[in-house]
Amino acid sequence: MSKGTIVSVSGPLVTASGMESANIQDICRVGRLGLIGEIIEMRDDVASIQVYEETSMVGPGEDVETTGEALSVELAPGMISQMFDGIQRPLDEFMEMTNSNFLERGMTIAPLNRDKKWEFTAEVEAGTEVSAGDIVGTVQETNVIEHRIMVPFGMKGKIKSISNGTFTIEEPLYVLETENGDKELTMMQKWPVRRGRPIKTKLNPEEPLITGQRVIDTLFPVAKGGAAAVPGPFGAGKTVVQHQIAKWADVDLVVYVGCGERGNEMTDVINEFPELIDPNTGESIMARTILIANTSNMPVAAREASIYTGITIAEYFRDMGYSVAIMADSTSRWAEALREMSGRLEEMPGDEGYPAYLGSRLAEYYERAGKVVTLGSTERLGSITAIGAVSPPGGDTSEPVTQNTLRVAKVFWGLDSSLAQRRHFPSINWLNSYSLYSNDMNKYVGKKLDVDWDGMVTHAKALLQDESELQEIVRLVGVESLSEKDRLKLVVARMLREDYLQQNAFDDVDTYTSRNKQYEMMQTILYFEEQSIRAMDLGSYYDEIIEGTEDIRERIGRMKYISEEELVKIQEIRTKTKSDIQTVLEKGGVESDA
Amino acid sequence: MPSKIGVVGDKDSVLAFKMIGFSVFFASEAKETRRIIDNLADKNYGVIYLTEQLAEMIPETIKRYDAKMKPAIILIPNHAGSRGIGKKRVQENVEKAVGQNIL
Ligand SMILES: Nc1ncnc2c1ncn2[C@@H]1O[C@H](COP(=O)(O)OP(=O)(O)OP(=O)(O)O)[C@@H](O)[C@H]1O
Ligand SMILES: [Mg+2]
Repeated sequence: MSKGTIVSVSGPLVTASGMESANIQDICRVGRLGLIGEIIEMRDDVASIQVYEETSMVGPGEDVETTGEALSVELAPGMISQMFDGIQRPLDEFMEMTNSNFLERGMTIAPLNRDKKWEFTAEVEAGTEVSAGDIVGTVQETNVIEHRIMVPFGMKGKIKSISNGTFTIEEPLYVLETENGDKELTMMQKWPVRRGRPIKTKLNPEEPLITGQRVIDTLFPVAKGGAAAVPGPFGAGKTVVQHQIAKWADVDLVVYVGCGERGNEMTDVINEFPELIDPNTGESIMARTILIANTSNMPVAAREASIYTGITIAEYFRDMGYSVAIMADSTSRWAEALREMSGRLEEMPGDEGYPAYLGSRLAEYYERAGKVVTLGSTERLGSITAIGAVSPPGGDTSEPVTQNTLRVAKVFWGLDSSLAQRRHFPSINWLNSYSLYSNDMNKYVGKKLDVDWDGMVTHAKALLQDESELQEIVRLVGVESLSEKDRLKLVVARMLREDYLQQNAFDDVDTYTSRNKQYEMMQTILYFEEQSIRAMDLGSYYDEIIEGTEDIRERIGRMKYISEEELVKIQEIRTKTKSDIQTVLEKGGVESDA
Repeated sequence: MPSKIGVVGDKDSVLAFKMIGFSVFFASEAKETRRIIDNLADKNYGVIYLTEQLAEMIPETIKRYDAKMKPAIILIPNHAGSRGIGKKRVQENVEKAVGQNIL
């Protein structure tokens, strides 16, 4: 191991000379305290090291030692339900060991519990030929996640011995006969976070991620294996959107990266999630969640690492054949960390001071999402859906982080401060948001439900679009200038906005809407429109329809609070709509189509 | 485009208008009247003369066209005499237009 000497310290950036035997991306121990850092630049024998811990009281002359290893994560049972910091140190154990609520420096803590014994069930027998990615056995890590132990990358050979039993993650689990002799392998693998884990092939995403959020699932769906960006100004609801998806998405595993945001938001997660029940499995949400916290009061450099740590863990579970969602709140804070380091390295700044490689770094991250065929001799499919919050300063989405994200993410959920101010939540603006997956996903849902879902969604979108144009006219010359049909359109569009798109994350029923319920609700609103137009064609007046449907419109407004078990009640609303409109017709003197 | 003028009322009251060249439509009860008026409005009639006695039966329809530029519905007495509502409407409209009752 080579030892260098610190030359200068500038915030999280330390330069050290005498490092000729070290390599870029090596992890170092910096100073007397042994702080953890990573080499991000080498010039001759001078290394620039980004230090993942506070550097105060560290000064020139102190030693730097390289470990010769890249920043890696440990992959083995024991990750689920845990909360780690940006470089995979388990925070609760950290607290126990240091007896403090704050991070102490220079601590070495094993990321995963070394003592815990896991019940291992072998899936292959001695004599089987296996290669990287093959599953040798399983550990039931939580009630919902079966941890599949895979042959590590680069390994290939014949299983010499393997058996069921209880093991810690470091105990030898099986022996592999390889070309280079016998290898004893454990449950644990390590993987450098900055490199994507290898896969066989990438596939086109075709199945939607069901989030239970109506505006997302209906208007702007994201595919399993897709990437979505949630840009929004302060307080527009980015965090709530991310939390909602983490809670309700129909994935096998969620990795939630709190990156540079408030600490109490992570506390919320820890308090709330264990009590929530996943509608897909009936188990606690926490049994499928991994948290990575690098809140605003934690060192900036570790923030940069946190999203790589997160996505590497996500990739590992994807490789087992799971669908995984990774949330990052917020990628802007991550980009700011990048900017800070780049500034200290005195690199040439690009747009708004961000380094020129901001775009490629963001792309690298989002490219690691996707639907794939995993390594291994049996065909396994896995996916990672990446959802990143972006906090553009002043809500101005023309800034570099948003723009670079949009270049790689195919879904844009633009949060709108004026909607948030009007308490329209989620404040996703339906006029400027988009999803490039819309067509495919709608067709998929249509097939599943056996209805023309795509047609319904397209119609609803057109109504909302028309509404904004009609409102323009109303503002200029008043509502009297509109034809009665257009005024009806305004009523229906308003229903869509208030009774469908608006969704209260804090209401027990409204917080999640299944695909079936979304269909019933949408169908009811569109049925109201259809029936009203029919009545108008038969001679009823706008005022008469409005008067005669007061009760029914109120019930449509409350259908979001009808529980999933009572969806027939929504169908009853449609029956009532029909009879109420018939009454309107009779009153207006036009009894029937005849 | 010149607007057409229509007259709606019971036969006895409005037949005379036919001789001056107006289009005349006969009605004697509410539904029928409503249908005729809606129909004329659709066909771009600019002015519709309607007997007071029929107008009383279809207040909603009258209200509906009050809010619009076209057609203007003007109430006329029928052969049995005036009920005064036509004149009252004119007064109300004038008041709306100029701010005080000048008639
Ligand atoms: N779906 C929702 N239902 C009800 N209330 C909501 C919803 N979404 C957001 N809110 C309200 O808006 C507030 C702010 O939301 P949130 O914290 O998610 O904003 P943010 O965009 O993450 O803000 P910041 O930029 O400060 O991180 C929430 O505390 C909540 O009161
Ligand atoms: Mg937030």
